Amino acid sequence: MTTRRTWSALCVLTQLVGCAGNGDGLDPSGRPVSSGGDGTLTADFASIQANVFTPICTACHVGANAPQGLRLDAANSYGALVGVASSEQPGLLRVKPGDAAASYLIQKLEGSAATGARMPLGQPALPDSTILVIREWIASGASRGTVASDKAFTVQTISVAATQIAIAMTRPVDASLVNITTVTLQSLPTLPDEPVMIAAQIAVSPVNDSLIVLSPKVALPPGRYRLTLRGTGSAALADWSATVMDGNGDGMPGDDYVQTLTVGGAP
Amino acid sequence: MITSRLPGGMAAIALSLSLAAAAARAEPYLAVQQGYKCMACHVNPAGGGMRNAFGNVFAQNVLPANRIDVGDDSWTGAVSRFVMLGADVRAGWTSTDVPNQKRTSEFDVSDARVYLNLEAIPDRLSLYLDERLAPGSATDLEVYARYWTAGKTWYLQAGRMYLPFGLRLEDDTAFTRTVPGINMTTPDAGVQVGWEATNWSAQLALSNGSAGGPETDSGKQLTGQLAYVDPRWRVGLASSFNQSDAGDRTAYGLFGGLKTGPIAWLAEADLIVDDGFPERTRDLVSALLEADWAVRRGHNLKLAAEWFEPDRDVDNDEQTRWSVVYEYSPIQFLQLRGGARLYDGIPQNDLQNRTTFFLDAHGFF
Repeated sequence: MTTRRTWSALCVLTQLVGCAGNGDGLDPSGRPVSSGGDGTLTADFASIQANVFTPICTACHVGANAPQGLRLDAANSYGALVGVASSEQPGLLRVKPGDAAASYLIQKLEGSAATGARMPLGQPALPDSTILVIREWIASGASRGTVASDKAFTVQTISVAATQIAIAMTRPVDASLVNITTVTLQSLPTLPDEPVMIAAQIAVSPVNDSLIVLSPKVALPPGRYRLTLRGTGSAALADWSATVMDGNGDGMPGDDYVQTLTVGGAP
Repeated sequence: MITSRLPGGMAAIALSLSLAAAAARAEPYLAVQQGYKCMACHVNPAGGGMRNAFGNVFAQNVLPANRIDVGDDSWTGAVSRFVMLGADVRAGWTSTDVPNQKRTSEFDVSDARVYLNLEAIPDRLSLYLDERLAPGSATDLEVYARYWTAGKTWYLQAGRMYLPFGLRLEDDTAFTRTVPGINMTTPDAGVQVGWEATNWSAQLALSNGSAGGPETDSGKQLTGQLAYVDPRWRVGLASSFNQSDAGDRTAYGLFGGLKTGPIAWLAEADLIVDDGFPERTRDLVSALLEADWAVRRGHNLKLAAEWFEPDRDVDNDEQTRWSVVYEYSPIQFLQLRGGARLYDGIPQNDLQNRTTFFLDAHGFF
């Protein structure tokens, strides 16, 4: 009787669940052949994106619900990784060019990170050979490679930690325009108090020329903050070709970018 | 000494449990087998995490094949009228076989948590903490305050919490947990209103929508579910809308359970519409069908079939996952599990075609 019940259950399961795809017309990432990698992993960012981040990491790290706000799709991953402080371990950069062992990405992949589980979560660890290639890319400088120039010059990804706010732009930034007049951070206290300017060092990352790094002089306490990037006026933020920032993403350069951020457990 | 004799103070509760239960362990299938709502056994009305006094009594007197007699001082979680403690530790061995790669295996502590519930005003106002101790350093997962109205019909909670969406499975690697992105690895800060009536259970949460990370935009996530619970079956609807600069993400879920003799069935189907992909919006679908057969007291055979469609506009990319798991609870507060998971995906992706075998022990109280 019990055996019959077991086989009945198995039969029902088999009938109700569909089959796996045969992969026709797809690359190893499961995307149409024209959009992904060729399965050959080399120590450059495009290859790592196509063969590791896109097919494996974006199972979770994509879109609005990306864990820790870390988006590893092709449009966001470089700006969220290279030169950006980890939100779990703010003292470490996710990718520290030239130093793979001190890069939080490597620690998470190798299972030696101080916080949380080994990545990829719920999947087998990446083969040593794959991690070795990622290590090699980081050790050799973690270059982005060719940068697409057809996008508007605007904010791509913001990564927040108590000791650093990293603002990834879509293209390399003119570092001479990055200063306390073009990038500001204000705390937003409870009304009726006025916002308070946060003292911080502001510069383009020495390891990622598309990344603006705002380092508060003291670690940010939990709370809400307003980040403003100036895209108007005579010294507005611009890229290397003097294209002014499109802050509101309307396709027209010349707008400020204003965003409210939350640090820590603030509601 | 192993015995089924009960301490006097719990006899009445245990008797009612015994009448209602044949065998059981943890997870939503237990609720289906017993015809209970999640809050019958958990401090959290939406399920998961710390067990309440009823859940602890259940774990000692109904779940295990045998019960070690500890006299009259059995654990209920209550240190005092105002303080409750609990914990979960999961450790084991996993072997993974990926095509064209060397087989790997490892021992691992996959999860260690402690729970603290401070009943500032018993049954009305409480402060709850779910702290993960391993893997890695200590991390707070859930931290919130909850206020119940008189009669425990409505509640309001504020803080960091797991969002209510679908079947809250113990296995966070199930497609129906990873694809919507709402699971026990992604608690979010916000507020939640809950409603508990005789057969109904509902939650509505407004949160940052940052999946545990810092909030970097002004968009918020609204997540809610409504479930009807009958002693033999249940059905629920869930929905989530996350507005984000990274692209909005909308999820819909339909889930349910059915008890047929010794088998408890669980099912869930989710549709996710995600604007967060660089090239265009993708529609993703995940589904779960699970059968839990209470072989006899302390023994459960779990068969699960899952399906994942990563992009409805792309053909031939579907993935499936099949699981066979045997769960044995020899004594109270201990569960041993062994099983296999067979992944089946496109042939050119080895990881999508891996097989894992695992043995693990789950200690809890």
